[in-house]
Amino acid sequence: MPSRPPNQPAGGRRRSPYRGYVYVLPAFAVYFAFAVLPALHTAYLSLFEWDGVTLGDWVGLGNYQEIFQDSVLRQSVLNALVLVVFFSFVPIVLGLAMTGLLARFRRPGMGAYRFLFMLPQVVPLVAVGVTWRWLYGDDGLVNQTFRAVGLDGVTRAWLGDFGAALIAVGLVGTWVLSGLCMMLFLSGVQKVDPSLYEAARLDGAGPVREFVSVTLPHLRGELAVAMTVTTVAALASFDIVYVTTNGGPGEQTTVPGLLVYRLAFSEGKVGLAAALAVVLGCLILAIVYLINRLSRSET
Amino acid sequence: MMERTHRVRRRVAAAVSAVALVLPLTACDALTPGSAAAAPGPASVPSSTAVPDEDITLKLQFADAPLMVDALIAAFEKKHPRIGVEPQYKTFSDYVQNLKLTMTSDSAPDIAQYAVGMTDLAADGHILDLAPYREAYGWDDAIPPVSLDQLTAGQTSEATGGRALFGVPAGLSMTGIYYNKELARKAGIDGPPTTVAQFEEQLAAAKEADLTPLGVGALDSGGLHLWAALLNQTMPTDDYWDWVNGTRGATIETPAAVTAGELVIDWGRKGYYNESANGTAQVDSTAQFAKGDSVFLINGNWAAGQLATVMGENVGFFPMPGEQAADPTVASGFSVSYAVASRTEHPEAAGLFLDFLTSPEAGQIISDNGFLPPNPDAVKKPAGVLADIADGHRRAVADDGITTFPDFAAPAMLDRLRSGVQKLVADRIDPADYLDSLQDEWEEHHAE
Repeated sequence: MPSRPPNQPAGGRRRSPYRGYVYVLPAFAVYFAFAVLPALHTAYLSLFEWDGVTLGDWVGLGNYQEIFQDSVLRQSVLNALVLVVFFSFVPIVLGLAMTGLLARFRRPGMGAYRFLFMLPQVVPLVAVGVTWRWLYGDDGLVNQTFRAVGLDGVTRAWLGDFGAALIAVGLVGTWVLSGLCMMLFLSGVQKVDPSLYEAARLDGAGPVREFVSVTLPHLRGELAVAMTVTTVAALASFDIVYVTTNGGPGEQTTVPGLLVYRLAFSEGKVGLAAALAVVLGCLILAIVYLINRLSRSET
Repeated sequence: MMERTHRVRRRVAAAVSAVALVLPLTACDALTPGSAAAAPGPASVPSSTAVPDEDITLKLQFADAPLMVDALIAAFEKKHPRIGVEPQYKTFSDYVQNLKLTMTSDSAPDIAQYAVGMTDLAADGHILDLAPYREAYGWDDAIPPVSLDQLTAGQTSEATGGRALFGVPAGLSMTGIYYNKELARKAGIDGPPTTVAQFEEQLAAAKEADLTPLGVGALDSGGLHLWAALLNQTMPTDDYWDWVNGTRGATIETPAAVTAGELVIDWGRKGYYNESANGTAQVDSTAQFAKGDSVFLINGNWAAGQLATVMGENVGFFPMPGEQAADPTVASGFSVSYAVASRTEHPEAAGLFLDFLTSPEAGQIISDNGFLPPNPDAVKKPAGVLADIADGHRRAVADDGITTFPDFAAPAMLDRLRSGVQKLVADRIDPADYLDSLQDEWEEHHAE
């Protein structure tokens, strides 16, 4: 590293442009050791056929070939895309709606309200899954509620029903992530200059108009973050599915994250699992890139 | 211009550093997965019994029945004060998922509960072949042969030239049908059925009486027990063993297995199962049965303790009956067995502990904890539903009819079985297609 870049005027007090890297280095070293290296190692493992114990066999891209021919895998990717609707789209819409309702006024008890909606974020997802398994059970609260209002025909084993299981799992995600979206948007709204709202009101804007013209445009950054976080949660979903249905009934709720786990730990196909993890990682990166690209070009 | 060469230079630097990072990964042989996994320590056990006279602590990792294990250890330590046993309990799924990593790591326990992945570990020399001890300790007399046959991992013993032995059972399991005596009477059912056809009549009678006939928890492994119980009756036991053991040319795609699948579908169509069988976990179906929600329940003896406590005299048990009344009793079962890691430094002490498990004293502890002792003659006869189970197990053992669970056929089989049976229960798959998916998995695993 040169002490003084050649294009810098002599005697100037400007520091080397590389100096910043020194400050980043410790963080980078940790990140490299615990995130980048394992990721590279995973990519390397994906080139082997390995049962986790004996010597692995080099198979090159064979594992990837196998992945793209697997019908269970294709269904699992489709399932994950359905989950995107419930983990991302619905929570964002709900979060926006709640923001629209809450942002205009200061009311007592708002703290408690926010806490309640944030709660699912604080509870470990495994506990969330166990709880919802009870709620969805035969005599669970969901079925009890339907019976109480006379909708006996609607009741079913939600997690065991071939038609309903994926939606039921998706709604758990909706429950978990709506509060997160709301909190993001509420904090975004607080940055908005109150005079803008005042001006809008003086111009005769109603609540809807105000939301569309003032609130929404200021939330573009938060929207991008919410979309990124929730989409990743949907595509990489594992814990909720594992605890509630373990992929069943049949393959109705099988997601790629679950398959990675199964392949690596219960089926002894570590190389195949690594290949699937790499493909899943690339898919997620591509979608996140797309979301960022779109949200940036709009501003 | 300056800007551009700068950018090019930066790109070259990035590419070089990327290659520099990946190169050592690909070039280094030590990074080849599995290359560092050779097991140190003894390859086999001594061919004579010995009581080591030094202070030793054995680590024991297990997943089933912590109370039973604690009691067994306490009794063993009392007998051999210089040998301590340190129990390491893990939940079943944690245990199975981490088994291979645990047993090949430098911190492997001395003794570990036998589980599905052990077959691969045994083949690679990470589990000790106990065949020499089998002779030395006389385990063939203390343990019924069918229980030891489950623990050979399909291998012959290098040490003795006979069958290998990779574990010793302490407590055996078996699946079958529980019934609620009071509800059964209400439906006009007067006792355990003697044939599958008679059992179907009883299910129909229960349905007729407006009761839920059969409780099934198919969300997890409970559905598998139903299918396997029927398969045990339709498929010849030898063919089934060949398939589970991976014998060349074995197949599950037989008319007999199709019949078992058709029965599962048929009973579903007739509404014999609890309505949400696919959404109910096995433990939950057991709890519902205990509350009186169904007349019959498919489960294993591991639920007996709980059911006996809650239902007392009101619960009975019978193994799934055969097609003819004279057919042998066949049921799926396995043992809570313990294997010895090749990395252990104390094979003598480990052998001593395993031998203790076969003693009458250990048998009584096992029986008191709701499991079937390997040698039932050595213990007091239990009462109630436990007696029904002990009786059924004795018949199955006498008929050579304890078959392992079908998921032992391949590591990935459990997932195929679970999702496949769920489809059978919901009438969404043809039995032949279901068997085809199992056979595909089998062939992939056993292809050599």
